Amino acid sequence: MDYIIQGFAEAFKLLFSFDQEIYRIILLTLYVTIMSTFIATIIGVPLGIFIGIKNFRFKRTLIRFLYTFMSIPPVIAGLFVYLVLARRGPLGQLELLFTPTAMIIAQVFLVAPIIMGITYNNTRDKGQNIKQVAYTLGADKRQALMLLLFELKADIFAAIVSGFGRAISEVGAVMLVGGNIKGHTRVMTTSIAMLQSMGDYSQAIAIGLVLLVLSFIINSILYHIQRVV
Amino acid sequence: MNITLHNITKKYGDKTVLSIDQLEFKTGTVTGIIGPNGSGKSTLMRIISGIDKEYTGCLNIDGHEINQEICKNMTLVFQKPYLINTDVYNNIAYPLKIRGVSKLEMNRKIENMIELLQLKEIIRQSARTLSGGEMQRVALARAIVFEPRLLLLDEPTSNIDPKTMQLMESAIKYINKCCNTTVVLVTHNIRQLRRVCTEAVFMQEGKVVERDLVKDVLNRLDEDFIGDFLEKELPI
Ligand SMILES: Nc1ncnc2c1ncn2[C@@H]1O[C@H](COP(=O)(O)OP(=O)(O)OP(=O)(O)O)[C@@H](O)[C@H]1O
Ligand SMILES: [Mg+2]
Repeated sequence: MDYIIQGFAEAFKLLFSFDQEIYRIILLTLYVTIMSTFIATIIGVPLGIFIGIKNFRFKRTLIRFLYTFMSIPPVIAGLFVYLVLARRGPLGQLELLFTPTAMIIAQVFLVAPIIMGITYNNTRDKGQNIKQVAYTLGADKRQALMLLLFELKADIFAAIVSGFGRAISEVGAVMLVGGNIKGHTRVMTTSIAMLQSMGDYSQAIAIGLVLLVLSFIINSILYHIQRVV
Repeated sequence: MNITLHNITKKYGDKTVLSIDQLEFKTGTVTGIIGPNGSGKSTLMRIISGIDKEYTGCLNIDGHEINQEICKNMTLVFQKPYLINTDVYNNIAYPLKIRGVSKLEMNRKIENMIELLQLKEIIRQSARTLSGGEMQRVALARAIVFEPRLLLLDEPTSNIDPKTMQLMESAIKYINKCCNTTVVLVTHNIRQLRRVCTEAVFMQEGKVVERDLVKDVLNRLDEDFIGDFLEKELPI
């Protein structure tokens, strides 16, 4: 029991010591998570809407793939991106492996399907109605699309929040392609995994607490925005 | 607007749900469509409104095939109306906004609707919190606020109390008088048919069985036969 209590005490000490290393880790975590969620949104929302309102060949097959990708294990996505970016891989010359960019790429693979899948589901359920109402009131294609976005904004937001949740909590993919290099690609989840394996529980708890508080704050902000829009 | 249909057929798989040889709605007329559930009334409305394009045959509006310009001058009120997730005012404003109507003009037209359909009490209420009957009233206001030349109504008063029904019926008559709007109204209410419409179409199994002045259609159809499909004239 002792080591847990001690861990918490040390955790607080660590947080208020303004240790540079810890803040660098927090900032990198935010950078990677926000960038990957942002890019995944740009990819996922339009595609989700598109497959939600359009009919085309192989749509069912595509959706089955989409659902699979929504729950793809992070290590598999990580491994895939690793192999592509590795020195001997097809994009090896870019020398992206073990950089934050590689971590963002890997997370986009995880997050984009989630945002796309949730957006698709909502568009499929409500899109037809919304489009028809827009057309019967005289809207052109662009205006109908605008109304669709307006009506689905809460759902799209929920999709982004889910995607963000996956990005900030994920460890497998960023570990593989980032390598948990101190001061360079070390983020909160990979630190916790490493500290735990080293038996340094107080540090692990400290970072774990920060991670919790951070997602609480960000989710509160997102939730607030969602209620306003 | 003048609408003519020629050899219109609509199928779902092997099932033919609509098969109309010839049907015309003349400019400025108010026509009631009656018939049992599943006889294709809503299907017909959706085809005329342009949102259902998966049919064969020829649909002409003022001698043209349907296009964006024509669509802008007509509207359909759905059996189950869908209101935009905003307040009542902005729902009614929507068709005016997308037509670029000026603020001043917009306010004037909406005021007119508020009076015509007595929406004062609910004008700032969120559309999602309205009762079923209120939604139908707002949907009607939103449909006639831009003075369409063709107004398609799919059971617009199905959940409406008698007093509000009267209100909605006078709004329908008003738009027909003031803008010479062609009105096509699906109803199961025989008294409403008599009150509002001058002509009637009786449909069955996707086909037009009778089409004439209201009283002639009702005369020709057997009393019991009508009684099966329309609300009977119960003494209240
Ligand atoms: N998407 C669909 N797939 C298969 N059949 C359909 C579909 N939509 C409608 N139908 C069928 O088409 C027929 C006509 O439907 P429609 O909605 O036009 O009837 P209606 O006359 O409006 O009936 P009601 O009085 O109940 O509103 C019905 O038998 C219905 O089951
Ligand atoms: Mg119907």
